[in-house]
Amino acid sequence: MRLPSPRLLLAIPAIALIFVFMILPITNMAEMSFRTTGTKDPFGEDYTLAHYLRIFGDTYYWGVLLRSLLTAATVTVLCLLVSYPIAWHMSKAKGMKAVFLYACIASPLMTGVLVRNFGWMIVAALNGPLNETLMALGIIERPLRLLFTQGLVILALVHVFVPFMVLPINNALRNISPTLIEASTAMGATRRDVFRDIILPLSFPGIYPGVILVYVLAVAAFVTPALLGGQMVSYMPTLIIGELTGTFQWPFGSALAIVLSLSTVVVVAIFTALTAKLMERSKA
Amino acid sequence: MATVEVRDLRKRYHNFLALDGVSLKAESGQLVTLLGPSGCGKSTTLRCLAGFLEPNGGEITVEGESILSTPANRRGFGVVFQNYALFPHMTVAENIGYGLKLQKVSKSELTTRVNEVMDLVRLGGLGDRLPREVSGGQQQRVALARALVLKPKLLLLDEPLANLDARLRDEVRWLIRDLQQQSGITAFYVTHDQSEAMAMSDMVAVMKAGRVAQFATPREIYQKPTERYVADFTGEANFLPCTDVTPHGEGHYSIAAAGTTLDLDGVPGIAAGAPAELLLRPEALELTAPEAGTFRGIVTKSAFLGSALHCEITLPDDSVLKLSAEPNTPVSKGDTVGIAIDRSHAWLMPEVAP
Repeated sequence: MRLPSPRLLLAIPAIALIFVFMILPITNMAEMSFRTTGTKDPFGEDYTLAHYLRIFGDTYYWGVLLRSLLTAATVTVLCLLVSYPIAWHMSKAKGMKAVFLYACIASPLMTGVLVRNFGWMIVAALNGPLNETLMALGIIERPLRLLFTQGLVILALVHVFVPFMVLPINNALRNISPTLIEASTAMGATRRDVFRDIILPLSFPGIYPGVILVYVLAVAAFVTPALLGGQMVSYMPTLIIGELTGTFQWPFGSALAIVLSLSTVVVVAIFTALTAKLMERSKA
Repeated sequence: MATVEVRDLRKRYHNFLALDGVSLKAESGQLVTLLGPSGCGKSTTLRCLAGFLEPNGGEITVEGESILSTPANRRGFGVVFQNYALFPHMTVAENIGYGLKLQKVSKSELTTRVNEVMDLVRLGGLGDRLPREVSGGQQQRVALARALVLKPKLLLLDEPLANLDARLRDEVRWLIRDLQQQSGITAFYVTHDQSEAMAMSDMVAVMKAGRVAQFATPREIYQKPTERYVADFTGEANFLPCTDVTPHGEGHYSIAAAGTTLDLDGVPGIAAGAPAELLLRPEALELTAPEAGTFRGIVTKSAFLGSALHCEITLPDDSVLKLSAEPNTPVSKGDTVGIAIDRSHAWLMPEVAP
C-alpha cells in the first residue's frame, strides 16, 4: 500500500477541524432552512421553500440585507482609509518602535468584545466624554445623540477591525523595494505619481486580504450592532439571532443565515473578479 | 551632451563620513567610472548626483549650473540600478514608457519611442511580458531602455552588471558602451570590477574611504598610479621597497631596489630620500638567464595556466615578484633565474598611508 504524501498528512488536522466545525454545521443549517417550522421540535418533518420565498418576497428583509452589506462596505472603506497611513508609518518603523506600534495596533483586540462595546456606550452617552469634549471645544452647543445610531456602529466596527487591515498592508508595503520609488522619481514622478502608480498597486496584495477580512467580519458582527445600534435599526445578524434564540424559528433563522452567507460570498467573489488582474500583476 | 562637475562633495551619516571631499569632472559625452571597494563612497556619490541623497557640503554643476536645489524628479537624469528596479506590476513596454507617460507625451509618440528604444537594446517582441517573465539579461536591458528613452542629460549606472553571469556581463557591457557613445550621453558608472572600469571608461576615479585617490584615464590609472592602493585595485602588481631615491628633473628618478640601481619614471614630486615603492606590473617582467637579468632570484612557485606560466620568484632580500612567462619556458621550482625589467612599465610611487 502506498502511504499518502507527508504534505497531505500535515493537512489532516486542519481538514478534520474544518469538516467537523464548519462543513457539518453549515450542511446541517442549510438542510434546516428547507424544513417546515416545527411545533414541538426545532423543525418539522417536511421540506419547504416557504422560508426563502418569505425572505425574497418581503422588502423588509431585502432592506435589512442591503443595510448589512452596505454598512459592512462602509466600514471596510473607512477602515482602509484609516489603516493605510498607519500601515505606511509602521512599514517605515524599525526595532523597538516597530514593536511598540504593533502593540498599539493590536490594542483593540486586547479588550473583550462586551467590555469594548460597553466602553463605547459610556464614551458616546449624552453626557459622556465625547459629547463633553465636543462642547468644550465649541464645535457643538447641545449634546448629540450618538448612542444607538448607525454612525456609532460603524465607528466602533472600524475601531476594532483596523488591525486586520493594517497588518497585511504593512506587510505588503514592507515588501516594496525602496529602489522602485527612487527609480520612478528619477523618471520624473512626483510623490503623488509614485503613490498612485507604484506604491498603491504594489500594496494591493495587502489591501486585498485586509478588505476581505474586514468585510466578512463586519457583515457578521453581532454584538456591536446589537449593543450600539439600538432597537430602531436591524442588521442581518441581530435578526438571525432573534429568530434563533428569541422566537425559536430555527428553519427561518437558518434561511436568513444562508442568505447572508451567500450574499457575502457573492460580494467577495465580485471584488476578487474585479481585482484579479491587479492582484496577478502585483503579487511578488 | 552635458559637462558635469562635482566639487568637494561631502556626506556624513551620523558619525560616519561617507564622502570626504570628492571632486570629479565629466566632459560632455564622457563615461566616467567610479571604481572602488564597497564602502568607499562610490554609490553615495552617484546617489548625490541622482538627487536621492542631499550632500552636507560641496557642489554639483551641470553645464556650470548648480543642480543641488533641483529635486531628483526634475533633474532629468537616467538611472540604472544594480537590482534593475523594474516595476513588477508593469509590462516591459509599460516600464519603458512610464517616464514618457508622466511627461504626458501623446500615445502614438510614446509607442514609437518605446519601440525605437526596445529595438536599440534588442528587446523587440517582449513588450507585453512582465519583468519576472524575462531573463536577467533582458531585465537589465529593460532598465537601460527605460533610462535611455527619456533622452537624459546624464546617465547614472550603479553596478548595472553585478547581477549578471560572466558571459552576459560582457555582452551588456559593450551594449552600454556602444549606446552611450552613439547617443553621446555623459555617464557615471559605478563598479568594483577593475576590468569593467578599464574597458568602458574615458576616465576612472579610483575611490578610497570617501575620497578620490586618483582621477585619470584608464591607461594612466593602470600604468601611472599615484599610490599603491590604486595600483593594487587596478590589477596584478608587484611592489618593491626602494631606497636612495634621487630625483632627476620632473618625474624622473634613480633608485636602489633589491640590490640594484635603476633609472625610471615615477609620480612627480617625490623628495630625495623619501620612502617610495617600485611598481612592477607582471607584464613589465621577463624571465632570462640568471646572469642576464636586472634581478636574480629563485623560482618558488610555478603554475601552468594554459596560455601562460605563472611564476613567483623570491629575490635575495626575500621580496617576491609574480610574473607571467611564455607557457613553454623551461623553469621549475627551485631554479635560479634572472628577471629583465621593461623600464617603460616600471613606475615609482611615494609611500602613502593605506
